[in-house]
Amino acid sequence: MNLYEHTIVARQDATASQIKQITEKYSKIIEEFDGSIVQTQNWGLLNLSHIIKKNKKGNYIHFKIKGTGKIIKELEQNEIIDKNLLRYMSVKVKKFDLKTNYFSNSENNEKSNKK
Amino acid sequence: MFRRKKTNNKKNRQSNFAKLSIFQPNKYKFKKSCPLSIKGAPVVNYKNIKLLKKYISDNGKILPSRITNVCQKKQRELSISIKRARNLALI
Repeated sequence: MNLYEHTIVARQDATASQIKQITEKYSKIIEEFDGSIVQTQNWGLLNLSHIIKKNKKGNYIHFKIKGTGKIIKELEQNEIIDKNLLRYMSVKVKKFDLKTNYFSNSENNEKSNKK
Repeated sequence: MFRRKKTNNKKNRQSNFAKLSIFQPNKYKFKKSCPLSIKGAPVVNYKNIKLLKKYISDNGKILPSRITNVCQKKQRELSISIKRARNLALI
Protein backbone atom coordinates (compact mmCIF):
# COMPACT_ATOMS: atom_id res chain seq x y z
CA MET A 1 0.00 0.00 0.00
CA ASN A 2 1.75 3.11 -1.20
CA LEU A 3 1.13 6.65 -0.02
CA TYR A 4 0.22 9.23 -2.65
CA GLU A 5 -0.41 12.96 -2.51
CA HIS A 6 -2.78 13.91 -5.30
CA THR A 7 -3.59 17.54 -6.02
CA ILE A 8 -6.03 18.81 -8.65
CA VAL A 9 -6.59 22.36 -9.80
CA ALA A 10 -10.18 23.11 -10.73
CA ARG A 11 -11.30 25.98 -12.92
CA GLN A 12 -11.63 29.51 -11.58
CA ASP A 13 -15.40 29.78 -11.96
CA ALA A 14 -16.23 26.41 -10.44
CA THR A 15 -18.91 27.05 -7.85
CA ALA A 16 -18.67 25.57 -4.36
CA SER A 17 -21.22 22.90 -5.25
CA GLN A 18 -19.18 21.91 -8.32
CA ILE A 19 -16.08 21.58 -6.17
CA LYS A 20 -17.98 19.37 -3.75
CA GLN A 21 -19.14 17.28 -6.70
CA ILE A 22 -15.59 16.93 -7.98
CA THR A 23 -14.22 15.85 -4.62
CA GLU A 24 -17.01 13.32 -4.16
CA LYS A 25 -16.55 11.98 -7.67
CA TYR A 26 -12.86 11.33 -7.20
CA SER A 27 -13.12 10.05 -3.66
CA LYS A 28 -15.73 7.56 -4.94
CA ILE A 29 -13.22 6.37 -7.53
CA ILE A 30 -10.59 5.96 -4.83
CA GLU A 31 -12.96 3.92 -2.66
CA GLU A 32 -13.95 1.77 -5.65
CA PHE A 33 -10.37 0.61 -6.12
CA ASP A 34 -10.08 -0.23 -2.38
CA GLY A 35 -7.88 2.73 -1.56
CA SER A 36 -8.42 4.91 1.45
CA ILE A 37 -8.36 8.69 1.70
CA VAL A 38 -6.27 9.71 4.68
CA GLN A 39 -7.06 13.39 4.40
CA THR A 40 -8.56 15.85 1.94
CA GLN A 41 -7.59 19.51 2.02
CA ASN A 42 -9.34 22.28 0.14
CA TRP A 43 -6.74 25.00 -0.42
CA GLY A 44 -9.41 27.29 -1.88
CA LEU A 45 -8.99 29.89 -4.60
CA LEU A 46 -5.31 30.67 -5.19
CA ASN A 47 -3.68 32.91 -7.76
CA LEU A 48 -1.95 30.88 -10.43
CA SER A 49 1.60 31.97 -11.18
CA HIS A 50 0.93 31.64 -14.91
CA ILE A 51 -2.28 31.64 -16.97
CA ILE A 52 -3.56 28.09 -17.60
CA LYS A 53 -6.33 27.82 -20.18
CA LYS A 54 -7.24 31.48 -19.74
CA ASN A 55 -7.65 31.10 -15.95
CA LYS A 56 -5.81 33.37 -13.56
CA LYS A 57 -7.03 31.67 -10.39
CA GLY A 58 -7.61 28.02 -9.53
CA ASN A 59 -9.40 26.01 -6.88
CA TYR A 60 -6.92 23.60 -5.37
CA ILE A 61 -8.03 20.27 -3.88
CA HIS A 62 -5.49 18.02 -2.19
CA PHE A 63 -5.95 14.33 -1.41
CA LYS A 64 -3.70 12.14 0.67
CA ILE A 65 -4.35 8.61 -0.54
CA LYS A 66 -3.25 5.23 0.70
CA GLY A 67 -3.51 2.56 -1.97
CA THR A 68 -2.03 0.83 -5.00
CA GLY A 69 -0.87 2.38 -8.26
CA LYS A 70 -4.04 1.29 -10.10
CA ILE A 71 -5.97 4.01 -8.28
CA ILE A 72 -3.74 6.75 -9.58
CA LYS A 73 -3.96 5.44 -13.14
CA GLU A 74 -7.75 5.33 -12.92
CA LEU A 75 -7.89 8.79 -11.33
CA GLU A 76 -5.77 10.38 -13.99
CA GLN A 77 -7.71 8.79 -16.83
CA ASN A 78 -10.89 10.41 -15.53
CA GLU A 79 -9.15 13.69 -14.89
CA ILE A 80 -7.95 13.98 -18.47
CA ILE A 81 -11.55 13.90 -19.71
CA ASP A 82 -12.90 16.18 -17.00
CA LYS A 83 -13.50 19.67 -18.41
CA ASN A 84 -13.48 21.40 -15.04
CA LEU A 85 -9.90 20.52 -14.17
CA LEU A 86 -6.87 22.49 -15.29
CA ARG A 87 -4.05 20.46 -13.81
CA TYR A 88 -3.50 17.34 -11.71
CA MET A 89 -0.41 16.00 -10.00
CA SER A 90 0.17 12.86 -7.98
CA VAL A 91 3.33 12.33 -5.95
CA LYS A 92 4.43 9.11 -4.31
CA VAL A 93 5.46 9.92 -0.76
CA LYS A 94 7.21 7.94 1.96
CA LYS A 95 5.19 9.40 4.83
CA PHE A 96 2.53 12.04 5.27
CA ASP A 97 2.81 15.03 7.56
CA LEU A 98 -0.85 15.66 8.25
CA LYS A 99 -0.33 18.50 10.66
CA THR A 100 1.05 21.32 8.57
CA ASN A 101 -1.35 22.73 6.05
CA TYR A 102 0.54 25.39 4.11
CA PHE A 103 -2.54 26.73 2.37
CA SER A 104 -5.02 26.70 5.19
CA ASN A 105 -7.58 29.47 4.83
CA SER A 106 -6.89 32.91 6.13
CA GLU A 107 -8.01 32.76 9.75
CA ASN A 108 -5.61 30.03 10.80
CA ASN A 109 -3.05 31.18 8.29
CA GLU A 110 -1.12 32.96 10.97
CA LYS A 111 -1.04 29.75 12.97
CA SER A 112 0.55 27.83 10.12
CA ASN A 113 2.95 30.70 9.48
CA LYS A 114 4.05 30.68 13.07
CA LYS A 115 4.89 26.98 12.95
CA MET B 1 52.24 26.08 -10.86
CA PHE B 2 49.16 24.64 -12.58
CA ARG B 3 47.31 23.90 -9.35
CA ARG B 4 47.52 27.45 -8.09
CA LYS B 5 46.00 28.65 -11.35
CA LYS B 6 43.06 26.28 -10.91
CA THR B 7 42.15 27.36 -7.41
CA ASN B 8 42.54 30.92 -8.56
CA ASN B 9 39.91 30.25 -11.15
CA LYS B 10 37.39 29.03 -8.57
CA LYS B 11 37.96 32.09 -6.46
CA ASN B 12 37.31 34.36 -9.47
CA ARG B 13 34.03 32.58 -10.20
CA GLN B 14 33.06 32.99 -6.56
CA SER B 15 33.73 36.74 -6.69
CA ASN B 16 31.92 37.11 -10.03
CA PHE B 17 28.78 35.79 -8.46
CA ALA B 18 29.27 37.76 -5.24
CA LYS B 19 26.97 40.40 -6.73
CA LEU B 20 24.15 37.83 -7.00
CA SER B 21 24.43 36.87 -3.38
CA ILE B 22 23.80 40.42 -2.14
CA PHE B 23 20.25 39.63 -1.17
CA GLN B 24 21.50 36.76 1.00
CA PRO B 25 21.83 37.96 4.63
CA ASN B 26 25.43 38.72 5.27
CA LYS B 27 26.06 35.90 7.70
CA TYR B 28 25.14 33.33 5.01
CA LYS B 29 27.67 34.57 2.51
CA PHE B 30 30.71 33.55 4.48
CA LYS B 31 29.26 30.78 6.63
CA LYS B 32 29.75 27.46 4.88
CA SER B 33 27.07 25.38 6.73
CA CYS B 34 23.93 24.44 4.82
CA PRO B 35 20.89 26.40 6.12
CA LEU B 36 18.54 23.49 5.38
CA SER B 37 20.32 20.66 7.17
CA ILE B 38 20.55 22.26 10.62
CA LYS B 39 18.26 20.76 13.25
CA GLY B 40 15.30 23.12 13.20
CA ALA B 41 15.30 23.65 9.44
CA PRO B 42 11.92 23.72 7.65
CA VAL B 43 10.92 20.70 5.58
CA VAL B 44 11.68 20.98 1.84
CA ASN B 45 8.34 20.29 0.24
CA TYR B 46 6.62 21.36 -2.97
CA LYS B 47 3.79 22.79 -0.90
CA ASN B 48 6.07 24.87 1.34
CA ILE B 49 6.25 27.75 -1.16
CA LYS B 50 7.37 30.24 1.45
CA LEU B 51 10.65 28.33 1.75
CA LEU B 52 10.97 27.67 -1.97
CA LYS B 53 10.61 31.34 -2.80
CA LYS B 54 13.83 32.02 -0.89
CA TYR B 55 15.77 29.80 -3.29
CA ILE B 56 14.57 31.15 -6.61
CA SER B 57 15.76 34.37 -8.20
CA ASP B 58 13.35 37.22 -8.85
CA ASN B 59 12.52 36.00 -12.35
CA GLY B 60 11.85 32.49 -11.08
CA LYS B 61 15.15 30.71 -11.77
CA ILE B 62 16.57 28.19 -9.29
CA LEU B 63 19.62 29.65 -7.57
CA PRO B 64 22.85 27.64 -7.77
CA SER B 65 23.97 26.00 -4.54
CA ARG B 66 27.33 27.84 -4.62
CA ILE B 67 25.37 31.06 -3.97
CA THR B 68 22.91 29.77 -1.41
CA ASN B 69 25.42 27.45 0.34
CA VAL B 70 22.90 24.60 0.28
CA CYS B 71 24.32 21.06 0.46
CA GLN B 72 23.93 18.88 -2.63
CA LYS B 73 21.30 16.56 -1.13
CA LYS B 74 19.05 19.47 -0.16
CA GLN B 75 19.70 21.21 -3.48
CA ARG B 76 18.35 18.15 -5.34
CA GLU B 77 15.25 18.05 -3.14
CA LEU B 78 14.83 21.80 -3.63
CA SER B 79 15.04 21.62 -7.40
CA ILE B 80 12.54 18.75 -7.61
CA SER B 81 10.05 20.49 -5.33
CA ILE B 82 10.47 23.80 -7.16
CA LYS B 83 9.73 22.09 -10.46
CA ARG B 84 6.66 20.43 -8.95
CA ALA B 85 5.44 23.73 -7.54
CA ARG B 86 5.92 25.32 -10.97
CA ASN B 87 3.85 22.57 -12.53
CA LEU B 88 1.04 23.27 -10.10
CA ALA B 89 1.42 27.00 -10.79
CA LEU B 90 2.14 27.66 -7.13
CA ILE B 91 5.39 29.48 -7.84
